[in-house]
Amino acid sequence: MGMSSAVTSNETMQLCVFDLRRGQHEGQELDKILFFYPADLPFSTQLSVIGLSEGLITFTRIFSPEAACEVIDAERHSHVFYQAEPDIWMVMIVEKNKELEAIWRSDALREVLKEVHSLFVMFYGPIRSLLEKEPGGGLSRSRLYSFIMDYLSDFLVGKRLQLPSFRDCLRERGSVQMLTISREAAIEVQSLVRVLESCSGSTQCCSLIMFQDLLVSTTLSPDDTINLFTYAVMRLAPNALSSGASSWSYLRKGNTVSQAVTAFVGNSRSVSEQISGSHDTSPGADRNYNVAGPLQHDKWSKGKDGFLVTDVSGVEVSSLISATPTIWLQQKEERVYLCAYQHRNLTIILLVPVNSIVNGEQGMSLLKQQVLENASLKIFKVEEKLSKGWGGENAYHVSGYRYLLVDHDRNVSRATPPGKVTTLAKESLLSMSKLREEVDLEKGQAKWEDPNHEKELEICIRAKNNAWVIARVSRGKELYMVLEKANETLLYASDALEKFSNRYCNGVFSLD
Amino acid sequence: MHGNTSSSHSGVSHSGSGALSHVYIQYPPLRCTISGSTGLFYDDGNKLLISPTSEQVFSWKTVPYSPLVAPTSDSICEGPIMSIRYSLDAKILAIQRSNFEIEFRNRETGETFSQKCRSETESILGFFWTDCPICDIVFVKTSGLDFLAYDSESKALFLVDTRKFNVTWYVYTHESRLLLLASGMQCKSFTGFQLSSAGIIRLPKFEMIMAKSDANSKPVLAAEDVHIVTVYGRIYCLQVDRVAMLLHMYRFYRDAVVPQGSLPIYSSKIALSVVDNVLLVHQVDAKVVILYDIFADSRAPISAPLPLLLRGLPRPKTLSRSNSQETETLEANNVSDHEATIYGDGWTFLVPDLICDTATGFVWKIHLDLEASSIAISASSSEVPLMLEFLQRRKLEAAKAKQLCLAICRALILEHRPISMVARALDVLVQSYSHSIKTGSYFKGIKAGDHPHSGLQQESSPATVAGESTRRVDAYGKSIKNESGTGVGSQISTRPSDFSTSDSEEDNEFQPQKIRFMDLSEKGGKKVGENPLGAETSGFDTQPSPPKSQMVGRSNSPLDSHASELLGVQATSAAISPAEMYSFVFAPVEEEMTGDPGYLVGIIVEFLRSANVEKIKVPPNLYVLTVQVLARSERYAELGLFVINKNEAVDVQIIEPSKEVALQLLESGRKNLQTRKLGLDMLRHLSLHHDYVLLLVQDGYYLEALRYARKNKVNTFRPALFLEAAVASGDLEHLAAVLRFFSDFIPGFRNTSDHSTYCRILNEMSSAIAI
Repeated sequence: MGMSSAVTSNETMQLCVFDLRRGQHEGQELDKILFFYPADLPFSTQLSVIGLSEGLITFTRIFSPEAACEVIDAERHSHVFYQAEPDIWMVMIVEKNKELEAIWRSDALREVLKEVHSLFVMFYGPIRSLLEKEPGGGLSRSRLYSFIMDYLSDFLVGKRLQLPSFRDCLRERGSVQMLTISREAAIEVQSLVRVLESCSGSTQCCSLIMFQDLLVSTTLSPDDTINLFTYAVMRLAPNALSSGASSWSYLRKGNTVSQAVTAFVGNSRSVSEQISGSHDTSPGADRNYNVAGPLQHDKWSKGKDGFLVTDVSGVEVSSLISATPTIWLQQKEERVYLCAYQHRNLTIILLVPVNSIVNGEQGMSLLKQQVLENASLKIFKVEEKLSKGWGGENAYHVSGYRYLLVDHDRNVSRATPPGKVTTLAKESLLSMSKLREEVDLEKGQAKWEDPNHEKELEICIRAKNNAWVIARVSRGKELYMVLEKANETLLYASDALEKFSNRYCNGVFSLD
Repeated sequence: MHGNTSSSHSGVSHSGSGALSHVYIQYPPLRCTISGSTGLFYDDGNKLLISPTSEQVFSWKTVPYSPLVAPTSDSICEGPIMSIRYSLDAKILAIQRSNFEIEFRNRETGETFSQKCRSETESILGFFWTDCPICDIVFVKTSGLDFLAYDSESKALFLVDTRKFNVTWYVYTHESRLLLLASGMQCKSFTGFQLSSAGIIRLPKFEMIMAKSDANSKPVLAAEDVHIVTVYGRIYCLQVDRVAMLLHMYRFYRDAVVPQGSLPIYSSKIALSVVDNVLLVHQVDAKVVILYDIFADSRAPISAPLPLLLRGLPRPKTLSRSNSQETETLEANNVSDHEATIYGDGWTFLVPDLICDTATGFVWKIHLDLEASSIAISASSSEVPLMLEFLQRRKLEAAKAKQLCLAICRALILEHRPISMVARALDVLVQSYSHSIKTGSYFKGIKAGDHPHSGLQQESSPATVAGESTRRVDAYGKSIKNESGTGVGSQISTRPSDFSTSDSEEDNEFQPQKIRFMDLSEKGGKKVGENPLGAETSGFDTQPSPPKSQMVGRSNSPLDSHASELLGVQATSAAISPAEMYSFVFAPVEEEMTGDPGYLVGIIVEFLRSANVEKIKVPPNLYVLTVQVLARSERYAELGLFVINKNEAVDVQIIEPSKEVALQLLESGRKNLQTRKLGLDMLRHLSLHHDYVLLLVQDGYYLEALRYARKNKVNTFRPALFLEAAVASGDLEHLAAVLRFFSDFIPGFRNTSDHSTYCRILNEMSSAIAI
């Protein structure tokens, strides 16, 4: 990408997680720090970063106790704040550098923080409860460290972390991409969903079905859907499995994971293996095995029966060989077994409450058998149907348009395929990034003023390169588009949007 | 005591439905008794039972069958009678007087003439009237066939055509129009003709299969061993092979006769009947009957052999108690004499479903007990879909079959049977409906007023749609509350032991009292001893015995009465429309089911899948129900998947948009904004502008509403609505904007009181701010 190699990874970005309830006495400040990247920074530097952040939070809380500061834009750095859990903060500090294309949209960066936290919670539960169970915090720190490092490795390009920049302005992290299917296929899918859920007998289980990297069906709550979908795209989908690299990462992933990261992860695993099994006090805790380094690559592989298998940490000597990992569902606040089955392009994830499976692994293998017996035919049929209807990588490309469509009601987004976005001029992308920043601000304010009234908004900008950069917000739905090589009149731009809206969005964005 | 109740309960169900038999004859019979009768003849062309005396001939119509039918009579000349048949237009009576002569008599004029064999070497085997275009009557002779036509001018028959064969004996049924001529040493070579109104078709010669007991014996096929049977409009010939103890089956095509396999037999004497396309093989010696549904490839019987029951027999006085006074003693005695003659020697089986007891002159019609047979099917194969298929094929008691299907469906769902099994059951019903729509049979039996969709097409008011599904006003506008709860749904189970239904309605048709001698004796001592009259008299039982009255209630909440009440006219098809599926299966089931909404949604999805495959439209209220179920269990994310599936030029919703669904989404969306928005979007999508605008205003989006109203030229609302909303929001600019909007776009708005009122309010508000 023509980047200067003079910059080392350590200098571009800092990321910390700290707990305001810890280390409140002089001399114990280090106790606050739950995670710091880069880890090799001297503690004094770490403490000064966290001290500044803490000071700002405390200060802004005076005026806005509910929502303290979100971002500090200094001349050379941006500090992005995210309160992950009450009094547990994540702060990302990025350097601004126009030449290096280091132009950020703070909401996009905050989404990164949100995502890594959500994923962490999905596997280990809330940080707060980890800390409560283990006041020393050693285990929490080692888990956070290995987890976040694994997560960040997806952003590595060469030796450099490349975070979502303006080039990713037509993407929405924290949303789900869905496959468009025919009514007939939709009914088949729903039929499959019911069969799958009936496999677990009387216990209520949930399911999530994906076709390649796209969501087909879910019975999870919206938040859990996003988390599991994100994880599945990163590590379980056919692409992720076969290449061992993330297909979803915004940037192409480099092959070299830094030695430090690998070494540390290796170390942490042994730590977690030692302690695991005693940390969780929920009923049946002794059977709750986590994926060892769930975000590490090549942890999952497809078994002969079509089910995906992984190493599981904390196998107890007394129990049978355990192979099914568990995750934590936010909505139901319970641990569930994660059982993934893959047939060609179709990935099916079944989530069965740990408490409902009496005899652990045996119960799971029974369930798997049930799935194979009852649902196989349907799975094949659905896969075939979806494959037939699938328009390929560029299925959702609309020629002439570069767009991003976000439905916040359903956490769904759809966008021009990345390959097509790269054809846009840098100028257009910069304008769009800026426009989105504006809209973010506008939305934030509107929410503040009247949370019950959703704002309608439309902005059309003629960029320096004569491209039209348009944002339209209407009742929970957002449409962003860039029209290059377009006619110069505003009417033309407005018509183009109208056409797009009528054709692809049920007319939601049509100017009434 | 408890044990008592349960045992007597099962007694009720048995005696009620005759669970021990799926075929029965109903008392009283048609009595074809005339003093001085010289015999009984069956004219199958006219479906008449004919009893001649020396000077008169009496005939009873057997179609439609009624025991009360009075005979008509004609006078005839004295003489021997070998066979007697009326012409198809009933104008001429033909009497075969001897092997050489047939006498014809014009019924109007009384003129007679005779037709005789031309040579001494041939003799007449028989004759029949036909509606084939070239002739009116066919003589079957040992030397072949004579086709003769009747000329009304000359009042004489003339020969049209003749075919030469050696004929040993023949079989003909008017029903099939098929004539089979047997010839050869063993009488197993056949020549066939079909003399239909379309013309005469000659079938290829064929041989029937005859097993040999040993090498030298050559059994001869007799006429009574060959039966022509018509089921589902197909013509079969069934041939008894006494040596092999098999019933060979052949099916006739225009150009071929194809063996269809064999059925085992357990009696050397076999009789066949067809009731509602179900083949009844009477094993006369064993006094049992076996049922076959010759539709699919399966040659398995529907059920195990069971006896033929006589139902509705009055109880003889000696056995009855207080309430027997109403029974006619004479009749009871009369009957008790003949009560034991089931499969008696005098029984002659008439095509297709009549039994004539030549000993008594009684004619019985054979009935199929659909409930019992469907239980039998499920018991023998435990295949509910097969049972539904069987029921769906029933035409005679289509309404009853329909009710049974609905009850079975409900039971399947309420019993939480595996979705895959319910899905197959639904497939059967949907396919059957689709087929009946294509062939038009579904609408045949339904009068215009009772059209199943007519009720549904009524625009439901928002309140109705948004309201609870409990307000189940069915398609016919009648309340169907009887049907829920402990009604048919819970009563009919697919397990035979749970089957408790009643045939009391049928009984009541013919006799006021429900006293059945037969049933009692069949039950054996156990039940009689405990409770002498038991449930048989339950309808009139005055004893206030609580468990029993409960039983009565159950056994009296009937299938039949519902069938007639709910489905109006007797449908000729058991097909169930999606609207009926909703009213009689999904809605009642939803009400009764507790927990596991996912299961019900799964069932509905399967139904939609079936309907989609068959391209059948589903009524909006089923979608409304789906929304209700999903919303009630707070599965809003799934609801979203059902309603929208990312819009791409085409609609791909599982739930098809309709106003009813939109209103339900709005209703369910009270707790979930996203769902409410789905409803709003659907309204807009359906171009229900007025509702959409009103809802926007209601939600406080009055400016958006105005823009939308202007764009879509909605002008059915009052300006005050928007003005009020603007005032309520307290936003000065907005109020001014709304005022301006109406001033600009509604001619004459400036002169209305609204304008002046809100201008004043605006001024007050602005001055208040200025201060």
